[in-house]
Amino acid sequence: MVTNMKEVKVEVIGPEPACVRCQTAKKIVEKTAERLRQAGMSVKVERANIISKEVVGKYGVLVSPAIAINSVVKIMGRVPAEEEIERLMREAAK
Amino acid sequence: MHEKTVRKLKTILLLLFVFFVVGMLIYSRIALALSFTPTTTPEDFSKYVWYEVPFYYLWDYFSHAWICLLFAFTAAGLVYEFMPKEIITKYMGSSKLAGYALGAGLAPFFTVCSCTMVPLFAGILYTGAGIGPAITFLLMAPAANILTILITGEFLSWEIAIVRIITSLATAVIAGVIISKTSWGKTIEKEHRVNRNPSTAQGSVEIVKPPLDERLVSALKFGGFLAKQILPYFIVGLVVVGYVTAYTPQNLVQGYLTGITGVLLASVIGGPLYTPTLVEVVLGRSLFQLGMSKAALLSWLMGQPYDIPNMVAVSRIVRWKVVLTYALIAWACSVTFGLLYGIITASL
Repeated sequence: MVTNMKEVKVEVIGPEPACVRCQTAKKIVEKTAERLRQAGMSVKVERANIISKEVVGKYGVLVSPAIAINSVVKIMGRVPAEEEIERLMREAAK
Repeated sequence: MHEKTVRKLKTILLLLFVFFVVGMLIYSRIALALSFTPTTTPEDFSKYVWYEVPFYYLWDYFSHAWICLLFAFTAAGLVYEFMPKEIITKYMGSSKLAGYALGAGLAPFFTVCSCTMVPLFAGILYTGAGIGPAITFLLMAPAANILTILITGEFLSWEIAIVRIITSLATAVIAGVIISKTSWGKTIEKEHRVNRNPSTAQGSVEIVKPPLDERLVSALKFGGFLAKQILPYFIVGLVVVGYVTAYTPQNLVQGYLTGITGVLLASVIGGPLYTPTLVEVVLGRSLFQLGMSKAALLSWLMGQPYDIPNMVAVSRIVRWKVVLTYALIAWACSVTFGLLYGIITASL
């Protein structure tokens, strides 16, 4: 079952210390990632600081909370539903 | 097939709710000729015992204001969700003019919640747009976000809401341009510039659009989130406003918050006295009823951008010299525009 599934790296991008909605976004991402891991996918979740030069250099100006999957910002300025983020992660793993 | 039907049904229900809220606002406006603002005048309050004041005030307030508040939070959620935020990422930094236009015209709509303000400020500063547009955005955001506009318009008057937007825009652009010309502004800009070349950058932005029903749910959820964040402060603020309304002698307000002294005083207490979002509108309304001049009211409302917690957060990025410069410019502008408005409308 764990055949040719790519590793998925999810970055939750927000200010430090995290704003309320960024914390919610992070929780949803973590929860979904855990479920997908149990299904055999390899998922890594990281937190990135929206006002760091690395993030601005990599992506440009973002609206928090932003979520990037494999270095592509897919969601910006809102908290996604669990099913939505799961869909995106599964697509990225293909 | 089944899932599709559920989605459609959900979309229809959500749209119905949105139409209901908008419809209620229009209906109450036209058919009931209901005003959203409290009807009690300061004199009515003096007959209550001190502990009764907040209850009467809150009741008076919410029995009138609920439609407007419901509409304001729903609208804020919808605007925030459906505004194309990727425009900022795409065009910010493409040219100075685009930077100012986006900073003043578009970005404020995303910042109904103060937690997005400082990150966006930093983001604008770091990209090629530089410090001018970043300052413009920072000063424009508290005056021009959708919630403030709606609440100011409905609770005070649409005249002052529009004047507030125009004067804030002028202030924001003036402050941005001046700071981008100062030596300390330029130093900060150089220090923070991040060179980003889209063709070599390792990351990219491809926003996905979820189905309409999910977007509507998330818009309403965000509206609810805003209400949860703002309403507690709003209610505490209202209790205080209740007391101010009930116990502030009218001649005190009429004596100090009118004329040139009034503008000066209002511009000073409106700023550093940190009033949580939207309370400034209600408190301003109270003072206005008690006899504050329109000129002083405008200065009072324009004092918002230089509140202390905001200045502290921003100073961590750009240091105090820039912060003090923009605070000074914003203060000077609030006095100037207050006086001008007073002279033009003959209500100094």
